Amino acid sequence: MPRIPTRLILQAYKHDTILPLLLRECRTLESAKNEMRWLHEHALRISDSITTKRVPTKALVRCSRALLRTMCMARSRGMPLQYILGDQPFGDLDIKCKRGVLIPRHETETITYHAANLIVHEMANGLFRNDNERTPLRILDLCTGTGCIPLLLHALLAPHIKNLSITGIDISSAAIRLAEENHWRNMHLGLLSERALKEVSFRQGNVLDYARDVSLLTNTLHHMPAGRTSDFEPGCDVIISNPPYISPGDYRSGTTSRSVRMFEPKLALVPSESYSGLMLHVDDVPIEDLFYNHIAAIVAISRARLTVLECGNRLQAMRVVSLYKKVLQGRGEISRVVVDVWSVTGIDTHPCAVLIHLS
Amino acid sequence: MMLRHLRNFPVCNSAVQVIPKRFLSISQFFSEKALPPRLKLLDADITTSYLKGTGPGGQKINKTNSAVQLIHKPTGIVVKSQATRSQSQNEKIARQILADKVEQLLKGDESRVALKAERERKKKASRAKKSRRKYRELEKKEVESGEEGGEALRDGGEVRGGQEEKPQKSNQ
Repeated sequence: MPRIPTRLILQAYKHDTILPLLLRECRTLESAKNEMRWLHEHALRISDSITTKRVPTKALVRCSRALLRTMCMARSRGMPLQYILGDQPFGDLDIKCKRGVLIPRHETETITYHAANLIVHEMANGLFRNDNERTPLRILDLCTGTGCIPLLLHALLAPHIKNLSITGIDISSAAIRLAEENHWRNMHLGLLSERALKEVSFRQGNVLDYARDVSLLTNTLHHMPAGRTSDFEPGCDVIISNPPYISPGDYRSGTTSRSVRMFEPKLALVPSESYSGLMLHVDDVPIEDLFYNHIAAIVAISRARLTVLECGNRLQAMRVVSLYKKVLQGRGEISRVVVDVWSVTGIDTHPCAVLIHLS
Repeated sequence: MMLRHLRNFPVCNSAVQVIPKRFLSISQFFSEKALPPRLKLLDADITTSYLKGTGPGGQKINKTNSAVQLIHKPTGIVVKSQATRSQSQNEKIARQILADKVEQLLKGDESRVALKAERERKKKASRAKKSRRKYRELEKKEVESGEEGGEALRDGGEVRGGQEEKPQKSNQ
């Protein structure tokens, strides 16, 4: 990483004596100033809430200044801004962030919006069953983390679809706890409708186990609330996922930023090399595509009409496209498979979404 | 202190109580004419870009930059917003600014922004005028009390003069 020019440090210092601390992570003056503003607002909020009203304003300013300095120090050591502030906006929702759970990214937000638009569009075109009044539209989010995708999907789809059932699955119990906290919190803030209480749920489970043993997934899905009848079949209509997709090489080589490596859980970033369970065709699939390979089997079993997968870059997306074509087209019961890539920013090194339509 | 509490008291705000027992100033909010509605821009005319630069993104880097840039294709106006941490919020803000700018370009003085600015300018002018009048009167009073305040008649005349100016203002 290039050295920060002295001129830039001086400029930052002139603006605020503790601003140079933020330059280390932000790299540009503009974004450092932005982060400073958000940290400052947060410091004021905290010092306002912890001090009683009798404290003179001068002491309050001093208190918030000391807080701000501590937070800037933490940030300069690489602590993600979202862990310091405690939350991250995701669409119109407010998602709480804690150590040990991956912070929602802007690209995931954009992909979730796109997925919601697609679902509404396909619903109108009759891709899904039409008796939505009785049976819910079932959506499965694999590797849910903070629960941001199921919650935002519910917020976006609830006005259009009468009956929903969205389940988020993650291997980490910390993530499931945080997701449930976010669920409750956003309902409490009025950002989610009352329906979300029944229609969104989170379960702990290992996605890598499901391809081997479908009954595990069925068991997990059986806990799905809303409109359960005895003739429930294992399956879902939409699968969405932002699985770990960084290769072990990229994780070490420096393309993954210091802040991410030091503070965010590796479990959510790199598919584990030491997975003890059965691996599906591991020889011809690179380790970073491990999850896509397993999700392909789940898609084939559940016959989800629409699948949306976030991939790290265009190259990986192209690999995933050919993988899914190979896995799904060999199956007799599926008549038509359409797989395409949707780019978030149009830049090849940025995340893409792979969209799979079955009909 | 007491006055402030009284103000919050609902009775004082209601229209029933017209004559206050104390000198509470209850100024009527004179309703302003509503501004024309915001211009609705077509989605097809706008190019949205999230300014993230090149290099890796996604899980590899946790970017806090949530800036959104909008380009209005027919007019070529570019607007950027990075006010909040929320991308969707920034987009809403940028859209509003863009709509205002496009409207200003299309309608000129008839646009929302121009009308708002004009209204603000008038208010400011009226405030300045009021304050000028106040200080002029104060000055006059000071001068008179300096001239050994025997002339009570003239003093009263001055005050009346000040009252006469008021209707003029309300005609504005």
